[in-house]
Amino acid sequence: MMVNTQNWKQWLEEAGEMSRFTGRFFSQWFRPRYEVTEFFRQCFIVGYRSLPLVGLTGFIMGLVLTLQLRPSLIDYGVESQLPAMVGIAIVREVGPVITALIFAGKIGSSIGAELGSMKVTEQIDAMEVSGTNPFKYLVVTRVLATTLMLPVLVMLGDAISLYGSYLGVNIRGVTSFDLFWTQVFDNLSFGDVVPAFVKSFFFGFAVGMVGCFKGYHSHKGTEGVGRSANSAVVLSSILIFIIDLVAVQVTDILGLN
Amino acid sequence: MTRQFVSNSKLGVFVIAGMLFLILLLYMIGKNENMFGNTFRLRAQFGNVQGLTAGNNVRYAGIQVGTVKKVNILNDTLIEVVMLIETKMKQYIRKNAVVSIGTDGLMGNRVLNISPSVKPAPLVETNDILPVKKTAEMDEMLQTLARTNEDVAVIATQLKNTVNRINNSAAVWDILNDKSLPQHFRASLLNVRSATAKTVRLVSDLQLLVSNVKEGKGSLGAIISDSALALGLQEAISRISRVGEDADSLAQVISTLAGNIQYDIENGRGPARAILKDSVLAENLQLSIQNLQKGTEGFNAIMEALKHNFLFRGYFRKLEKQKEKDKQPARGQ
Repeated sequence: MMVNTQNWKQWLEEAGEMSRFTGRFFSQWFRPRYEVTEFFRQCFIVGYRSLPLVGLTGFIMGLVLTLQLRPSLIDYGVESQLPAMVGIAIVREVGPVITALIFAGKIGSSIGAELGSMKVTEQIDAMEVSGTNPFKYLVVTRVLATTLMLPVLVMLGDAISLYGSYLGVNIRGVTSFDLFWTQVFDNLSFGDVVPAFVKSFFFGFAVGMVGCFKGYHSHKGTEGVGRSANSAVVLSSILIFIIDLVAVQVTDILGLN
Repeated sequence: MTRQFVSNSKLGVFVIAGMLFLILLLYMIGKNENMFGNTFRLRAQFGNVQGLTAGNNVRYAGIQVGTVKKVNILNDTLIEVVMLIETKMKQYIRKNAVVSIGTDGLMGNRVLNISPSVKPAPLVETNDILPVKKTAEMDEMLQTLARTNEDVAVIATQLKNTVNRINNSAAVWDILNDKSLPQHFRASLLNVRSATAKTVRLVSDLQLLVSNVKEGKGSLGAIISDSALALGLQEAISRISRVGEDADSLAQVISTLAGNIQYDIENGRGPARAILKDSVLAENLQLSIQNLQKGTEGFNAIMEALKHNFLFRGYFRKLEKQKEKDKQPARGQ
């Protein structure tokens, strides 16, 4: 009972700290001085360097989803609707969520480990002493980079997934690229694309924020760095699903479905 | 610094690619929903829109030409559908084009179909109200189908009865089971074939005959085509006619003769007249016949007297005995 109370207290404390950390980000990100060079460097690392991994997973997801859906659609005699169905599935849900999860695994852990090691080697404290705002330099740039790069990655991931799906359709059947393209876009609407695009900003923000928080608050030496990296991935993955759940409710309320 | 530039350019390419895909996606969707480009409005009024909503496709003769902009309720029985149609279609769609609500595929979304009419009409203008055509609704189709099913059931029952009757009919099965029937049938067919062959021969014979007759061969041919015979026949006929005339004159002569005889009888000449017409003679004849009768009676009395006379009695008895004798053997037998 004692332990349980302790856990609850710890959990609530962490939630409070994280809220404070997020508030600190919002109070600082628009104020000068802007760390533009560091921001672009982070964008490059976070966005461009993640593209091969996101592209590969997206391609495989598109291909596999197509091949998995085919038998069910054949049962209903609507095999010709395969591109439309896969297109909607990828753009609405699979693209953003899978990309965000891969992104959390790659970037969330690396931010957590990087900031954690800086924290335990007291580089962050040294930065503060030298007059550089470590929060601005380390946290704001990274969170902005993840927030802005994930939607781009999601878009490119969608494109690669659709290409994978096109190949998947053509493994068993014959569909020209023009027909595939037309079928996919004929069945998409703004209600499919815009909410998915908007929620990917939140995914990116969550991944960056959790990674930075876990790294910034890591303690207990090098062991703590590993724990920070791990818990950053776990927490951001959970947050991605929670945000997804909220997003689908909000789009439903707004009538965009 | 060089490395910095390279990474920035790569980052630029990455971001631009992502944004381009987003823009493309949004543009394609926008294009499908007619957000860009020139459009004009057309309207149609229905009693029932069968689930048509804003964003459904509008097709002109099967070609995608626009989308449904909105569906307004005008009153309790009238619903107005506003369509956004591509401006370039303004030169094709006419005021008498008919709007109907259809389905994209069997289970697909609702679509509005604009069908051209064959009759001439001016081109449409913005905000025109096009005439509508009521299409078959699923419910109505199912109702019709239910009625059809009942009819089909009745027909099936009747068919079943017919089949049962055929199955129970001994005559039909006898015919079907009779193995000699095909042979008979075959034989009949052979007969028919030979009959046909004979008919053909007969016809050819007839043909030959007719052609012979035409050519004047044989007696019939001679009758038909020999001019000498014809002359002979004519002469014979004229002779017959003359004989007839002679017979006429003969009949006249006979008639005259009969008339003369009649006259003679009437006017008292010759023995015939005396017999038929002279009453004195007739009286004399009657008297003579009476005298004869009396003479015969006298003779009978004499004969009776003779029978009773002893001289002749023996003779008459002998005659009677002879008669008796003739009757006796006939009895004895």
